[in-house]
Amino acid sequence: MTGRSGVAARAVLPEVALAAALVGGFFVLPFIGGSADMFGRILMWGLFGLGLDLLFGYTGLLSFGQAAFYGTGGYVAAWLLVTHTIGNVWLALAFGTLAAGLWGILIGWLALRRVGIYFAMITLAFGEISFFLENSPLAHWTGGENGLPGVPVPHLGLGPHAFAFTSGWRMDALVGAFFLAGFALARRIVHSPFGAVLRAIKDNADRTAALGHAVGRYKLAVFVIAALYAGLAGGLLGVFQSYMPPEAFSLDTSGQLVAQTIIGGVGTLIGPLLGGAVWLYLQQNLQRIPGVGGLWKFLLGLIFVLLITLFRRGIAGSLREFWRHRQRTSLARSAETGSPLAAPPTLPLTAPVVHATRSPALEARGLSKSYGGIKAVQDVSLTVERGTIQAVIGPNGAGKTTLFKMLHGEVPPSSGDVFFFGRRITGLGVTSACQAGIGKSYQVNQLFAGLTVRENLRVAALARSLGAFRPALLAAATAIPAVERQIEAVLATIGLEARAELLPGTLAYGEKRRLEIGLALAAGPHVLLLDEPLAGMSPEERVATKRLIARLSERATLLIVEHDMDAVFELAQRISVLANGILLAHGTPAEVQSDPAVQEAYLGGLHAHESVGS
Amino acid sequence: MKNRQHPALGRRSVLAAGLAAGGALSLPLAVPQPAEAAGFPPLGTFPAGVSGDSVFVGITSPLTGAYSADGKDHALGYELAIAEINAGGANPAAWGLKGKGVLGKTIRYKIADDELKANVGVQEETQYIEQDKAIMITGCVDSATAIAVEELAQRMKVLNMVGCSGSNDTTGKDCQRYGFRSQPTAYMAAHALGPVVAKALGSNRKAAYLVPDYTYGFSVFDSFSAATKKYGWTVVSKQIVPVGAADYSSALINIANSGADVFVNVAFGNDAVASGKQADQFGVLKKMKMVVPNISSFQAQETGAKIMGGVFGTLDFWWTLQDRFPLAKRFVEAFYAKNKYYPNWGAHIAYMQTYIWALAVERAGTFYPVKVIKTLEESKADPFDSTLGKVWYRAEDHQMIRPVPVVQGKTPAEMKGPDDFFKIVELVPGEQVINPVTDLMGCKLGTYT
Amino acid sequence: MPGLPLLLAQAFNGLALGSLLALSASGLTITLGTLGVLNFAHGALFMLGAYAAFVVLGHTHSFVLMVLAGGGFMLLMGFLIERVVIRLYYDRPHEDQILVTFGIGILIVEGVRFIFGGLSQRVPLPAWGQGIVALGFMLYPKYRLEVIGIVAVALFALYLVLYRTRIGLIVRAGIEDTTMVNMLGVNVRRTFMLVFAVGVLAAGFAGMVYAPLVAVDPDMGGAFLAESFVVVVIGGLGSFPGAVVGGLVAGEIISLTSAFNAEYSYVMLYAVMALLLVVQPRGLFGSEGRV
Repeated sequence: MTGRSGVAARAVLPEVALAAALVGGFFVLPFIGGSADMFGRILMWGLFGLGLDLLFGYTGLLSFGQAAFYGTGGYVAAWLLVTHTIGNVWLALAFGTLAAGLWGILIGWLALRRVGIYFAMITLAFGEISFFLENSPLAHWTGGENGLPGVPVPHLGLGPHAFAFTSGWRMDALVGAFFLAGFALARRIVHSPFGAVLRAIKDNADRTAALGHAVGRYKLAVFVIAALYAGLAGGLLGVFQSYMPPEAFSLDTSGQLVAQTIIGGVGTLIGPLLGGAVWLYLQQNLQRIPGVGGLWKFLLGLIFVLLITLFRRGIAGSLREFWRHRQRTSLARSAETGSPLAAPPTLPLTAPVVHATRSPALEARGLSKSYGGIKAVQDVSLTVERGTIQAVIGPNGAGKTTLFKMLHGEVPPSSGDVFFFGRRITGLGVTSACQAGIGKSYQVNQLFAGLTVRENLRVAALARSLGAFRPALLAAATAIPAVERQIEAVLATIGLEARAELLPGTLAYGEKRRLEIGLALAAGPHVLLLDEPLAGMSPEERVATKRLIARLSERATLLIVEHDMDAVFELAQRISVLANGILLAHGTPAEVQSDPAVQEAYLGGLHAHESVGS
Repeated sequence: MKNRQHPALGRRSVLAAGLAAGGALSLPLAVPQPAEAAGFPPLGTFPAGVSGDSVFVGITSPLTGAYSADGKDHALGYELAIAEINAGGANPAAWGLKGKGVLGKTIRYKIADDELKANVGVQEETQYIEQDKAIMITGCVDSATAIAVEELAQRMKVLNMVGCSGSNDTTGKDCQRYGFRSQPTAYMAAHALGPVVAKALGSNRKAAYLVPDYTYGFSVFDSFSAATKKYGWTVVSKQIVPVGAADYSSALINIANSGADVFVNVAFGNDAVASGKQADQFGVLKKMKMVVPNISSFQAQETGAKIMGGVFGTLDFWWTLQDRFPLAKRFVEAFYAKNKYYPNWGAHIAYMQTYIWALAVERAGTFYPVKVIKTLEESKADPFDSTLGKVWYRAEDHQMIRPVPVVQGKTPAEMKGPDDFFKIVELVPGEQVINPVTDLMGCKLGTYT
Repeated sequence: MPGLPLLLAQAFNGLALGSLLALSASGLTITLGTLGVLNFAHGALFMLGAYAAFVVLGHTHSFVLMVLAGGGFMLLMGFLIERVVIRLYYDRPHEDQILVTFGIGILIVEGVRFIFGGLSQRVPLPAWGQGIVALGFMLYPKYRLEVIGIVAVALFALYLVLYRTRIGLIVRAGIEDTTMVNMLGVNVRRTFMLVFAVGVLAAGFAGMVYAPLVAVDPDMGGAFLAESFVVVVIGGLGSFPGAVVGGLVAGEIISLTSAFNAEYSYVMLYAVMALLLVVQPRGLFGSEGRV
């Protein structure tokens, strides 16, 4: 396993194993109540489901409208072939797939404005609309409820010696090849930087955006990829059975796909194939049990309810979880508790160098924000000089968090501007702010609970490496040297090297807070906004974290909101005081301390407010 | 088309209890040639499917979904016909079959649920061909499945006796060499019904149509409006409604306000029941006479004679035809004895064409599909005696030429029993109402081999 | 362009169509809002209500008995389903809940098909519902008019339960914030069971009232489920007023579109929903709830 060939062999091991399993399955299936036809159909559902699994299992977007793309791909390919517009089956499949992708761009553009059940419902609606279009206005082309019969089979080669993919094992081999290619591609995508971002989006879309990824574009990209998979599977369906059925567009099709994917295991890639196998096998064999007849569907329903109830993560998911659980517990036992903080970080990946040499790192000019009639922040102007630590303090409800949100681009100000090294960045949004070089750690941890510590940091480092959006589908997420060095550097800085392979949920509270800061740091910012970095920490953790903050200031400008006054006065070179949304005072710690207005409005009751939200 | 012979034909499956098994994978290298296969090259499931002392017939029918009642009826028709043929005796003899089985071979069969989905129909029939070496495939109660399975039959070179299908396309633009259809087309039904209703309801009538939104609905509308046009009938309202819409109130308000004097209800199945019921509630049936070009199997039973009384329409079969045809009498009596109700359209199609297939095979003297097809195509010269009298298939498009029963619903007072819903107004000879051979609606039959 | 009388007639009919959708969607939406469960068996339960009407009316010919016995049966079904299955799913993802209720729907539909067969059943109009009423601008079936009244009463009863009782308070609080309700120490389990049963009752009652108007068959719930979903989404997930207004809006969309072209009536419903969601994120009355 030391040689290069060994590594390469391991890299394709799942594909090879899967191919072997498929060949085995093909020969076994006819003896246990299946057939070559059933086998091919399972593969098509598996291919169809790969797209949904990327969309739903990896990105967390549950679509009930995949039939729209399955049908589109199928009908476009079938129509081109049946009308002899295109004679070449491969070309027709390509056009069908492309058409599904285009339809995916349009529907995705509309549907992706919402998430959760709303997203599911919009996709469902577009699925129904697509069905209607097929059945009614386009019936002249699609054959309406009768579908399109007479789709030819593909050939390899030309003339009399061409190899025809007729039904039976030849067709299965063809569909199997498409499935394996689709599977290999999907697995590459999952392990690519693109895939890493998708998983981050599933976990916490807002934080992913705040770390500099253009979440909307990633979602649209994966939506279109899912549509392309569906379109190809739909095209193959017509070719497979020489007939393109109208049910391809039906809600039942979308529903069956979702059901199969969940039964088989979401986020496993292999799940849709397994679920399809279970569904089709039961569909065909339950009713062949003597005396069952039309009751087969009742039994199927019963089996499904039991399967879903007993296997929480589906078949493949349950197996994988069992395996991972064993792995994790062994890791957790070996991990040490508490790690010292290492030397100041040198990050290989940082935001692009800023040229405006004279301007301050960050500047707010007349920032105001009102919600409804309430003025949260009024006309706040402040500058943060390069290489300093500056703090914003104020009682609860003073507007500190709102101010941070405006500086970071999370909310647009009602009026006023934000400048970053002299460049106006007002209203550009959180993703652009991060890409420009502003990082933020949150008051309440915003970690990716499903990713390990290392993977968490990778999400941030990738944003710096890839930019806001780059569909790096085929590269390996773990093989970008600069990103890996960045992760190591940040791990060392926040002292979590020994915890790198654990899930955040297993970390101690202080460690989570450090990871929270580490996420912001790994994006390579020039300015770091730290929102109550010390909140909720034990005295020992405070000491360690204060040391970390001091270290960070050696490479980035820091702006801190903090209630721990001792820490603020110890760390900050300049302090701004907010009260009722108005900037009360601004200056060195000594100046602020001696400001009578501050003393009157704020310092009197300050310590009572420690570690409570602002 | 050299590669078209099916590669997935090997050993026969030999398992009881309906559990399918078999070596579908071995290539047809050395299939033993049974005596009767002599002289015929392998084609489709022939001779692999006839090498033993039985043959397999693959049947699908919607046992779940919107037409599950029709599907059940359909399945019972097949079961009865096959049981009779296998047992031999008076009924098969009356049809002209010799001894037990077909050419001495027992018929094995399975009935799978096609769920009213063409895709599932194709899936199940393919399984029959690949696993069970089905020598004939049949069944379904909707045209989409019929057309899809016909296509499969043509590709696999396995004979397909189309189930219930009224679409013109089944023997029109989607016709196949390997597919034969015995139900009247929408065109035939409309042209049989048109003159009868024009006579009964008068010329120059204004008609309002309720048309379900699918090609079948449109072809019935086109056919019937064309068939009544020469009697001066006009279309004053055409309400296209989604299939399965349950509530037709909005469309019926439009119809009620259309000023029509005839309400032509094209909706089918449960849609026909619901729309008929609602038309009554909206007072449409007080103002207008209802005409249902294609009456669904159980429509009268489900809707009730109060609404269906006086309604004109066509049926594939009605059990009182037993008074006219001896074979129909045998069928109805045997079916009633076994299932305790009178057979409907679905059962009749299943029963009749199973017999006709068996007859064709015996006439041909072989299961070799090309010979059987040619026998059916030449049946005009020697029509089959059937539950509907003499019937034959048109060689040009494989449509059965057969009488079309035009019926009128009986009012509750007219009914002589709880199942006596219709009187047969006229049995219109098929030759009179079928589209001419000069206009085959785009039919181009495929190749024999 | 249809004339004014026809438009008026269709607008009125939209009210009748919409009232039933409103009732059914109310059941769906409070279950979703309180329990966070999107009930895909709702259509099947609607169908079950229609069969309950068929059985009770077939034996007693009494509408009042039908409401009592059928309603009791639906409540019982609701308790049973919640107790045996749904309870296991509260801490599981939405998609699992969707799938399990989808499976329950299959069980109900195929179970009914097994018992009653696939034929549609005739449910007679009650004696007081027969006949046609002249409304001036149109003739309208008497029973459909009465249905508007019956549904209005049912919705008002539901309103009273939701806004005038302790359980209603919990339900509405639950829609806003479930953890809060949990902390209040109320018997959440019992409340959830009751809420689910009330949701089932709403679907079943809509089915009972609707039964004399349509073909009662095992598959009648499918289209209805999809429409109820659309209504809930238009109104805003979890919002009772949203379900009522959304139902009426949906009824009007179907009916008024029919005045121009009935073919497009249902697809228009989906198109309006999709567009609404693009411009108005949370539907008409949606709150910042749990969904």
